[in-house]
Amino acid sequence: MKPVMRSALAIAAVLAAVSGDAVAQDGQSFDRIERGRTLAVLGDCGACHTAPGGKPFAGGLALETPFGKIVAPNITPDRQTGIGNFTNAEFLSALREGRSRGGKLLYPAMPYPAYTKMSDDDVLAIRAYLATLTPVSNAVVSNQLPFPFNIRMAMLGWNWLNFTPGRYQPNSQKSAEWNRGAYIVQGPAHCGTCHTPKTVLGGDKAETPLAGGMLQGWYAPNITNDSRTGIGTWSKDEVVQYLKTGTNSWTLASGPMADAISHSTSQMVDADIAAIATYLKDSGLGGATAAAVAIAASDNAMRAGAAIFKDSCAACHKDSGLGEAHLFPRLAGSALVQADDPTTLARVVLHGTRAVATSAMPTAPAMPAFDWRLSDAQIAAVLTFVRNSWGNAAAPVAAGAVTKQRQSLAAAP
Amino acid sequence: MANIVVRSLSRRSFLASTAALIVAGSTPGFARTIVGRMPWEPGSATPPVQVRPGPWMFFTADEAALVEAAVDRLIPPDDRGPGGKDAGCAVYIDRQLAGPYGGAAGLYMRPPFMPGAATQGYQLPGSPAARYRAGLLALADHVRTAFAGKTFRELAPADQDKVLGGLETGAIVLKDVNGAEFFALLLQNTQEGFFADPVYGGNRDMAGWKLVGFPGSRYDYRDWVDQHDKAYPLPPVSIMGRSDWTVRE
Repeated sequence: MKPVMRSALAIAAVLAAVSGDAVAQDGQSFDRIERGRTLAVLGDCGACHTAPGGKPFAGGLALETPFGKIVAPNITPDRQTGIGNFTNAEFLSALREGRSRGGKLLYPAMPYPAYTKMSDDDVLAIRAYLATLTPVSNAVVSNQLPFPFNIRMAMLGWNWLNFTPGRYQPNSQKSAEWNRGAYIVQGPAHCGTCHTPKTVLGGDKAETPLAGGMLQGWYAPNITNDSRTGIGTWSKDEVVQYLKTGTNSWTLASGPMADAISHSTSQMVDADIAAIATYLKDSGLGGATAAAVAIAASDNAMRAGAAIFKDSCAACHKDSGLGEAHLFPRLAGSALVQADDPTTLARVVLHGTRAVATSAMPTAPAMPAFDWRLSDAQIAAVLTFVRNSWGNAAAPVAAGAVTKQRQSLAAAP
Repeated sequence: MANIVVRSLSRRSFLASTAALIVAGSTPGFARTIVGRMPWEPGSATPPVQVRPGPWMFFTADEAALVEAAVDRLIPPDDRGPGGKDAGCAVYIDRQLAGPYGGAAGLYMRPPFMPGAATQGYQLPGSPAARYRAGLLALADHVRTAFAGKTFRELAPADQDKVLGGLETGAIVLKDVNGAEFFALLLQNTQEGFFADPVYGGNRDMAGWKLVGFPGSRYDYRDWVDQHDKAYPLPPVSIMGRSDWTVRE
């Protein structure tokens, strides 16, 4: 045994001497690789860098951005088509500054504006983990944007306007758990990439982080602690339950969040999920938005909506709007139902949706499509009704908004 | 001797079944294995197509006039609601005959055709559409001959009843068509039109359902399961809704 160990140490020493890179040597330890894997889960790297049905991390998923199509590259250690030839410095720069090998500028579909918060050690732990993957030869043409967005140099200007590089700065007033949560949310988990409203240029609106954004025809809800439009009504345990299992007594995750939960949050270690919940419940973001005034039940849209709800919705969501925990989302008191942006609501009524299945909650109940049964005006009426019943209050939904959603779903389901 | 025969038979059948197994085993399977979760696609409803008012799709104008007059005698209008004609039974039958039902798309329609027991279902060679075409022609001919050139629609209600009654009992014999069988088909389709969901063209304004107190396409009655001796309060609802769903301006 001993001679073997000694020779292994000797080889390691030689390797270290050759590369002259202490971190690379460290990269061979199991603990470090496992930490890198955990961080890759937190960052959900596989979500974008794996094509549907493709080899993990070999790239190829097309991201539909408001500006055009960007395809996530191959990040396996393949030397020709992957990142096998990257130095650690190049890897750090790509993740945190959006500058790839040779100074090539990345598009912020790669969430470097969030990853910039990450420490050297964490980024290189991810590198150490990725280096253990089987190299896959898969050449990906990343930039499939139309002119003028295909000019990478344009990102110089974008970065100047929208990108603030810099590591996470701990808040000494808060607990270690809170700081861990803030680091995960702002850094590796890049929650704001979807949940923070965007400027016309696609940059984060710095003044309203996590207050809800639009992506791929879904509304990513407000996840500040706002008691009416955010997650203020959820307890910390309910936040944990949602991230871990995909459902809590309020709702079930579907749409893009279903992917985030199945690939990322449900796979996180419990301490990290708890840290995220601690931070989100105490992020200091979002106050108490003044309640809107509910529309009177005598309103024409409300009356039609009530009839439609009774006949088409109440069997699952109940006359009380309380639904059934873990099966049918609760509508009464739901922040998403009362959100300013009804995109997700119109979408799930038109096309239906399916909840995420996790090992803890494998049922994955589905909502059926109603696009064949209800006209745009009827969908607008029933949404107006659920947004203004049982104590809910929100702006009415216009039939035109449903028409637009129906058309965009027909164009790209 | 008997033993030998049995042995050789079983040996042969053993070989045959082995061969069959080999064939079955090497044939690619068409079954799909579903692991983990049931498949689901967004927007994957396969709804019925709403019947729209408009010109006849199967009947000629003469045929339609006969059918409308006949369904209105099978279900006559009264003070409790519309009859077969106003409820849209003829429209329902027309659209059905123009579709897969009329063409017997769901039935095995190869010979031999033999009279079967009632429990054996449809045993006739003609599709429903062909039977209507022949039956209505024969019936129109019979009425023209028996009532001095008049059409069925022009007859007094009492005479119309007599003709329909004669068909039902077999007292009236049509040329090349079994009148009793044709009457049974017409009666069955009229009842379907009166009670089927309005999406199929009949049961206008859910008149049939209102008459018998059927609540329509509702699917959750848990709140009423233990409320005995109380009238169910909700109005009927069609697959495509009810008038209260319309947003009034």
